[in-house]
Amino acid sequence: MDRQIKTLQDKNSYLDLQKEKRITLLEVLDRALDKGVVISGDIVISVADVDLIYLGLKVLLSSVETMERLRGSPFSGAAEEPT
Amino acid sequence: MNIKEVKEDLIYLYCITDKAPKLKEIENSADKPYFIFYQDLYAIVNKVKESEFAEENLKRNLADLEWIKIKASIHEKVIEGIMKNSCVIPFKFAAIFNSEDNLKTMLSRHLEEFKDILEQLEDKEEWGVKIFCDLEKLKEVIIQEDGEILNIDKEINSSSPGKAYLLKKKKEELLNIAVNKKLNEYGQVSFDRLKERSQEARINKLLPKEVTERKDEMILNSVFLVEQDKVAVFLNTIEEFKTRCADKGLFFDCTGPWPPYNFC
Repeated sequence: MDRQIKTLQDKNSYLDLQKEKRITLLEVLDRALDKGVVISGDIVISVADVDLIYLGLKVLLSSVETMERLRGSPFSGAAEEPT
Repeated sequence: MNIKEVKEDLIYLYCITDKAPKLKEIENSADKPYFIFYQDLYAIVNKVKESEFAEENLKRNLADLEWIKIKASIHEKVIEGIMKNSCVIPFKFAAIFNSEDNLKTMLSRHLEEFKDILEQLEDKEEWGVKIFCDLEKLKEVIIQEDGEILNIDKEINSSSPGKAYLLKKKKEELLNIAVNKKLNEYGQVSFDRLKERSQEARINKLLPKEVTERKDEMILNSVFLVEQDKVAVFLNTIEEFKTRCADKGLFFDCTGPWPPYNFC
């Protein structure tokens, strides 16, 4: 599997989120949106909003994957990002 | 009619720490946060645009997954940057205050609470452990290991079609029971072992395949708060699991260290 496994050794590369694989994005969303301290800011996103995000997550992740696949295609002469 | 001024006056709170944050460390990230010092605490914040984060606008943006992806990455990067040098209390994505004064009021209200949490988190790290299982692979392993199922399997081959059908049903039933038993066992044993090697442990909800986009099933989604000097032991334990379970269709996914989102 092409998932990234973070360990202490590659902590530095893991800090560079731009290079992260999609699973880590999922991990980040799962934590930052769902966990963390929620002590009343003036505006806090509600639980319902988070659920909506989860519904959309699949769409987001598949589009990331599609883009990666297109970029990595051996026939990528004409593989532009879909617009 | 007045043209509305473009304001940048909402305050986005990333995290709280009790050591002077080294903001230079995170200068290269897409965001340039600053801190607000109150009593003994530092709140790492930034000014954000009302057009993005005022209530209605935020709701609209939350429907835009590309936007969330970018902003959540920044959120994580900033907190991880601060975390390199001190213990942090990570806040949930988009904790927004109307003014610095409002933020200070919140800090004053929860001052002792935050200090206690920071004290408890000192020298500890959050690690996530997910276990996935290739059920077909596990079934194969069980068939070979389980005498009763293996016997039925042999019997099927030498039976009439009618009897074979019934035996297959029986086999499926036993197999499902055995699979569930094994999954509980693997999940429970792994979790208990790792729990022994950590300060605190928690089980989170399993994420469905639609979200993980893996072919195998998530059978455990757990998080641990591990003392820094015990992280090596903790990771070794997972390596042991991996070696022992590699041929049983189990996959261990360990990530960290994370900001302690699950333990605040």
